Amino acid sequence: MNKLMLIAALAASAIAAQSFAAKPEKTSSSTSIPDMSGVWQGPYTPDLTKPLGHDLPYTPLGAQRFKNVVLADDPASYCLPVGPARGIQAPMPFQIVQSQGFAVILFEYQHTYRLIYTDGRAHPDDVEPFRWFGDSIGHYEGDSLVVDTVGIGDRTWLDTAGHQHSDQLHLVERFQKLDANNMKWSVTFEDPKMYKEPFTVTLPLKKQNTVIMMYSCEENEKDRGHLDATKH
Amino acid sequence: MTTKSLGIFLALVLFLACVPVFAHHSFAAEFDVNQPITLKGVVTKVDWLNPHIYLYVDVKDTNGKTVNWSVEGAPPNTLYRLGWRKDTLKPGDPVTIDAFKAKDGSSTANARQVLLPDGRKVFAGSADDGGPKATPTK
Repeated sequence: MNKLMLIAALAASAIAAQSFAAKPEKTSSSTSIPDMSGVWQGPYTPDLTKPLGHDLPYTPLGAQRFKNVVLADDPASYCLPVGPARGIQAPMPFQIVQSQGFAVILFEYQHTYRLIYTDGRAHPDDVEPFRWFGDSIGHYEGDSLVVDTVGIGDRTWLDTAGHQHSDQLHLVERFQKLDANNMKWSVTFEDPKMYKEPFTVTLPLKKQNTVIMMYSCEENEKDRGHLDATKH
Repeated sequence: MTTKSLGIFLALVLFLACVPVFAHHSFAAEFDVNQPITLKGVVTKVDWLNPHIYLYVDVKDTNGKTVNWSVEGAPPNTLYRLGWRKDTLKPGDPVTIDAFKAKDGSSTANARQVLLPDGRKVFAGSADDGGPKATPTK
């Protein structure tokens, strides 16, 4: 009797162990995406040529636009949105929130956000309403989130140094999770009007022990007058 | 401030001195790296606000006339993470600030290094691209 009870107990344990083992497998197949949630920050990158190590591959139009740029006209100095990549390049943290079908990047800088749809949708035919941050769609590839963005318009700058882009700008970003505290962010800029060939900038992102704080560019903006004065 | 928190504060300040912090405009577009100025005076007002903090300081010029300078610093969030608080400097505090003058000739400058009343030298700049790091207090 005792033997039978022992066998029954072992059998029950085996079944329980089996069902226990099956659970994570099921869970992992439904949510097998790298966990990128948390607050992150990369090195401040005000000039893309620095991490790139060389000048940008301008077209004649791109070269002319950069040569004639007026730094005082930086859209950011008007408190306008800085665009999807420049938000990552800023020296302020951002928080990644992942959910079913989308991911969100909450930027401390200008207290704004990006929505990245990961539900398999395509870009809309008309991307005009998505100017500034563009329309972003993404998918997971192993340890990475790959994001494709179009429709940014032509009013943001690529960086504080004043590198320009056209309404043809197309970004492909790869957020690669390296370990719990490190990611690698690569962004390929493609803009045939301004640049002869695509170029890719890669920056390390580090997990931050902080929270996103409030930032209102308009709260006490006093630079505009001084910036305008330098243009005359 | 305890010894431990002072140590953390100074470590963070040292970190800041090595890392340019963000402003919403280019340093070179507004301030002149060739016009450094040391402002020694008394704080009259502190605006602990975005996108930059502002320190207002009464400074006597060479003719003995008092000029109220507005001195731009980094965003409050950046300074907060580095140990600054909104009452680190208060109206009435004596202060010495190494700064760079605005290009438009107004009594406006961008702060780099601040000598606090208790003798600490801290970085408060809002260097963007091309903005200089802290310079020694004269």
